[in-house]
Amino acid sequence: MKSNHIANRFVTKRHMNMNRLRIPLMLILSLVLSFSGCDKYLNIQPQDTINQSLALNSARDVENALVGAYSNLGDQYLWGGQLMMEPDLLAATNELTWGGTYQGPRDVFTKNIHVNNGYVASMWEQAYKTINVCNNVLASINKISDSTTKATVQGEAEFIRGSLYFELVKLWGKTYTDGDPNGNMGVPIVLTPTTIITSQNNVSRSSVANVYKQVIKDLNDAKAKLPTSNGFFATTYSASAILSRVYLMMGDYQNALTEANRIIQSGQFSLVKNYMDEFNNGSNTTEDIFDMQVTSQTGINDLHTFYASSSAGDIPNPSRGDITMTQPFMSLFSSTDTRSQQFYLSVDGVSYYTHKYDNPFSNVIVARLAEMYLTRAECNYRLGSSVGATPVADVNKIRERAGLQDLTSITSVDQILTERKKELAFEGHFLEEIKRTHGSVGSIPWNSTKLIFPIPQREMDANKNLVQNNGY
Amino acid sequence: MKKVLLTLSGLMFLCLGVAMAQQTRTISGTVTMKSDGTPLPGVNIVLKGTQIGTVTDADGKYVLKVPESGGTLIFSYIGMKQEEVEIGKQNTINLGMASNTEQLNDVVVVGYGSQIKKDMTGNIASVSGKDIQNVPVPNFESAIEGRNAGVFIQQNNGKLGQAMEIRIRGASSVSASNQPLVVIDGVPVTSSNQSNSYNGTGSATNPLSDLNFADIQSINILKDASAAAIYGSRASNGVIIITTKDGQAGKTQFNVKYSQGFSSPTGKRKFMNGTQYSNYFIEAAKNAATYFNDGFDYVGYVESHFQKYSLGKWTQSNPGNYNWVDQAFNKNAGFRNVQISASGGNNKTTFYASGNYDNTSGIVIENYLQRISGRLNLEHKANDKVTIGAKINLIKTTNKRVPDDDAFSTPVQLLAQPPIQPIRDSQGNYISDNSLYFNGLLYKQNASFPVNSFHTYANTYAQYNITQHLMYRSEFGLDLYDQNEQRWFGSAVARNTGYGNGDALQTWDRVVNYTLNNYAEYSNTFNSVHDIDATAGISYQRSNQTQSYVEGVSYPSDQFRQIISAAQITGGNTQETAFSFLSYFARANYKYKSRYLLSLSGRIDGSSRFGKNHRYGFFPAASAGWIINQERFLKNSSFISFLKLRASYGITGNAAGISNFAPLGLYQAIGYGGIPGTSPTQIQNPDLKWEQTAQTDIGIDYGFFDQRINGSVDYYFKKTKDLLLNVNVPATSGFTTQIRNVGKLQNKGFEFVINTVNLLGKFFWSTNFNFSANQNKITNLNGQIITGGFINRAMEGQPIGVFYAQQFAGANPANGDALYYLNRTPTQQEISDGTAFKVKNMYGGKYVTNNYDAAQRVVLGNPNPKFTAGLTNNFSYKGFDLSFMFYMVYGNKIYNGGGAYMSASGNYFDNQTIDQLNAWQKAGDVTMVPQARLFASNGTGDSSRYLDDGTYLRLKNLTLSYSLPKRLLGKLNGMRQVKLFMTGQNLLTFTKYKGFDPEVNTDYLAGNISLGNDFYAAPQARTISFGINLGF
Repeated sequence: MKSNHIANRFVTKRHMNMNRLRIPLMLILSLVLSFSGCDKYLNIQPQDTINQSLALNSARDVENALVGAYSNLGDQYLWGGQLMMEPDLLAATNELTWGGTYQGPRDVFTKNIHVNNGYVASMWEQAYKTINVCNNVLASINKISDSTTKATVQGEAEFIRGSLYFELVKLWGKTYTDGDPNGNMGVPIVLTPTTIITSQNNVSRSSVANVYKQVIKDLNDAKAKLPTSNGFFATTYSASAILSRVYLMMGDYQNALTEANRIIQSGQFSLVKNYMDEFNNGSNTTEDIFDMQVTSQTGINDLHTFYASSSAGDIPNPSRGDITMTQPFMSLFSSTDTRSQQFYLSVDGVSYYTHKYDNPFSNVIVARLAEMYLTRAECNYRLGSSVGATPVADVNKIRERAGLQDLTSITSVDQILTERKKELAFEGHFLEEIKRTHGSVGSIPWNSTKLIFPIPQREMDANKNLVQNNGY
Repeated sequence: MKKVLLTLSGLMFLCLGVAMAQQTRTISGTVTMKSDGTPLPGVNIVLKGTQIGTVTDADGKYVLKVPESGGTLIFSYIGMKQEEVEIGKQNTINLGMASNTEQLNDVVVVGYGSQIKKDMTGNIASVSGKDIQNVPVPNFESAIEGRNAGVFIQQNNGKLGQAMEIRIRGASSVSASNQPLVVIDGVPVTSSNQSNSYNGTGSATNPLSDLNFADIQSINILKDASAAAIYGSRASNGVIIITTKDGQAGKTQFNVKYSQGFSSPTGKRKFMNGTQYSNYFIEAAKNAATYFNDGFDYVGYVESHFQKYSLGKWTQSNPGNYNWVDQAFNKNAGFRNVQISASGGNNKTTFYASGNYDNTSGIVIENYLQRISGRLNLEHKANDKVTIGAKINLIKTTNKRVPDDDAFSTPVQLLAQPPIQPIRDSQGNYISDNSLYFNGLLYKQNASFPVNSFHTYANTYAQYNITQHLMYRSEFGLDLYDQNEQRWFGSAVARNTGYGNGDALQTWDRVVNYTLNNYAEYSNTFNSVHDIDATAGISYQRSNQTQSYVEGVSYPSDQFRQIISAAQITGGNTQETAFSFLSYFARANYKYKSRYLLSLSGRIDGSSRFGKNHRYGFFPAASAGWIINQERFLKNSSFISFLKLRASYGITGNAAGISNFAPLGLYQAIGYGGIPGTSPTQIQNPDLKWEQTAQTDIGIDYGFFDQRINGSVDYYFKKTKDLLLNVNVPATSGFTTQIRNVGKLQNKGFEFVINTVNLLGKFFWSTNFNFSANQNKITNLNGQIITGGFINRAMEGQPIGVFYAQQFAGANPANGDALYYLNRTPTQQEISDGTAFKVKNMYGGKYVTNNYDAAQRVVLGNPNPKFTAGLTNNFSYKGFDLSFMFYMVYGNKIYNGGGAYMSASGNYFDNQTIDQLNAWQKAGDVTMVPQARLFASNGTGDSSRYLDDGTYLRLKNLTLSYSLPKRLLGKLNGMRQVKLFMTGQNLLTFTKYKGFDPEVNTDYLAGNISLGNDFYAAPQARTISFGINLGF
């Protein structure tokens, strides 16, 4: 660093001249002045997002927020797939095997969940994020003046919120029929939107019973407000479908029956002709009661991510293939059962996969008509009634589509439950079936703490009012 | 024989000289060392502009015949300041030469100006461009690694063009940026990551790697508040000021340099071979059968998978052995670099022009960096008052990137493949469907990811010397960055990408960053004792960034790679963001009697990032210095040549790295099934403001024996408050984090620098040593815990990024279970059900457990080094120069996040590190490796099992060069310099770390808190290069 233009600036001798000084001084002054309206140089507004003050001011804004709630609901960690996949992994012994490298799902599969399981944390976080969006919609509902639109929007937001509280309480709380639901811890209930964070946000867990109360309130309200058809958005039957599950979990077969029967008798839905035609569709089928929409642009089918195999030559969009089917489960299907067409052996000659999720851009099925027939059959059987149809008729409806011979009679509820297990395999029903029927996962009983998710460690750290589940 | 010839030719020159000089006279004298009067033998003495010359003898004496007319004698000697002496009428010229080890009168570039080094009251570390000119690394940050106290630089891994971690005096932020502000020729430049978030990689790139550091004249690093506060709200992390070369008036000098190097990884982790692997996993399967006791045929399962992976070739007796680790590395790694420059001009106009071509092949496969750049620096004195100039640098860079460290397709993840698995199938194609994991080698032919960037640094300036004492300067600088990323996946990599018919994605990014500086400087001396130097000005900076991308899938064949051929466009968007700063700054330096120094500075920064409540911030600093050796009592000391005591205090700010719209509550657009919607993305915080760092620095600059020993000692204390934190909030609110000004942290440190000239004479030897210790401590996070990496945390009372997890205790001697220290008092229930237990004479009498979740997490270690030190030795003898530099990083820990897969007691089929062979086998075995058990996750949870000591000592650089002697050059027409050199980088590494390389922080996680993590990270490059430098 011998010399430098800055360093050399005073090297040559110059004489002082006051006149010559004036011009540059004026130049400096004018520059200072030019900056005096300076805030305008510092006012920069976001271009990719908008300020929250601009977000919920009109009817259109509220409807936009509702669409946002659906989008959040379709996230990979909710009904985009993980709300189906993780419970299936947790319930699985001889149905499927997790062969992937991700530790989170593997620990769920091995019933050895840690408090820092990333999948568990993401599911929790995304559920409450979506609930907050619903709360935003509900708090701004009066921005909508058209009463029909207002009722629909309100019903949809309540449908999503009620459904999510149901999913949360199923995974993070004890089963409704396990001891006293009033004494068992459920999940925190938040019903108002968050605009600023204070200590009020450290919400404690409500009891299992109170969460179910909120779920039923939201879903019943949604059922009343929602129309019978609503494009691919939630309808009154979507609410009924989830309600039927809620009542099943509570052992309230009468109400479950009523909801299932309501959907079947509406005539809005019909079974597709071939079982495998029900899957890998980019739009709702006649059988679908509620789907999460997936296109190449929006939404995700995370079941495709983990079920679709990379090692089958005929799959146009292969994926991780982390979940493989096991022989004991596949042998439940008779050779003529068309539902067994879903299974295929990969080119490695070792692993079996299901064809249910070959298409990455197919909708994720949340509820379909076949489930309602089986729910109605089970409830009728348990109650000794034949509302809508006899149990055997409903079961045969499902069997006929699968290319199986009719049963002449039903002698045990297990017949219906086995049919249900085969019909709805890998669609997220395994765990709730075990819990509500007080079954077991291998040697682990239905009410074991191992079958309940831990409150994520991050959440425990952030909210001192939370109490961890037993076993963690 | 050669030597004789050389000597003869030298003699002939001498004779010619004598013959030509008709009228001569004789000059004689003695050359000594100024400091102690010892004679200097071997001093070169040349009559300026001629070939006439001689050297001093053993007693420092010389005799030289010069023409009657006289002239000027040039005395030169390695390590001494070159002197020119006018002969005039003298016949005896004695000279005392001074060493040039530390030029106290050197000018150091500071913010908006420059200062004489000896008058500085702040702490500025300097590196001359000359010091790093032959270092064979692709960016300047790597080149200065370890050369300065208080400046910690780390390359995250051995991939090219990746972001660098730079910490000046420790980390002063938790969530905002910890990287220093970088100013090139007066203009703050874009130095942050520009990798488009849509490209599928999470790892950061470094726009500064575009800079050809052969063009750098000096790098000055402003460390303390006194030096940095002139940059106000940008200065908490220090400031790096880069000044590029100016032209020198005189005869045009050309320089041509060519160098070529060969690179290899610094180290390799050791893995099992085929036989070891095969036996180990069969054992793991047997153990699993016993452990799970569920009737499943684990051994059969393993054997059938071995059949699959080995393509049916595996047998227990002959399992096969394939080295997948070696497949990750490029056997032809290295670089070629051509640098051409010209410098010259006259007393009105000077120029420096350069062109550079650099082509580097990374040590991992398919990783390349190619750079072409040109520069023109021009300065013109219009008259004796007005100087105008421009510095223009155009750069084109192509970086062929490889996937992130956590991608199955990244080269280093090849090591996870079983060693019984052949690399190619029987047809000679890379194994594809049957490999355990996706075979990343398929990326060689079937995927590409070149990033093309066009980078322009263009500055213009005008300076008006209004009077002898007052000058006004206006600078306008543009930093224009334009980048296009082209990612392509062919159909053959569908297993990894999910796109059976291919996928292509392109991104475009443009950053237009401009700065306008206007400032005036007044400098004068009153009554010969009061020196005043004052600067004041305004600066405005605006940076606009626009981004776009488009992605399309399904192509007719792999020949079609542009998105126009896609059957389906699956993604695309455009984005825009911007920030601006409007700043007013002033500084005054006062010197009394050349020994009492006082400096005051202040800056008011206005930022677009903050709302009306906290838009402007004020950042003042004050410092004082006392040049003690100017006092009467030391003035005549022959021992102390320089002694200065200095102290500074100031406040700086930081808001870099946070979102441009951090205080706002924001909604984003989000679609569902083709219908538009909105969703909240950020919770508001209207009270957000800058982080503030108050820094105190006390230092001494010293010099002894005519500066043959010199250096500095500094102690600093940095206290940061109002930390911008992404605070974890209950997710039940709908948000997981909120950015807030909470919390405090501090950095305390000690820096020591000593430079010595050990030997003067024919044989020259000098040493530079720097040592820095920094202690970081987070003092208040408002009760928050912020996590990062695998197990990193920011937590109160601990340094940033500490590792926090379960403490591993080894294998249970009774059954081989992984055990963890309980680290808390067990409940009665836990003792009675055996969850918590003690083992006699083991574990220090503490409770252990095999229940991972029951064990209390504790602080396991610190990813930040306790100290770092650099030691450089330079030797010269005749035309030979040798220098080598050792660099030490001491006391940090490294967490191997890949341990859960590669050292996992046979949990899954990944090849295992060789240490897993020490697994527990039978009751009574005492080992740190739990029993091998397939699928049992025996000890695979994050714990101290995967934590290692990261201390290392490295021979960072060794350079040997030879310059042809002047007398030989005379024969080569017009040659000024011919220099041959050989350089080694990262030649030797001494470490206990078992991974590839201890200089590591896996790229996809690297951040403020996520420190010291390894996860299949590419090791650093060891490079040996050769080059030639021609000057004419």
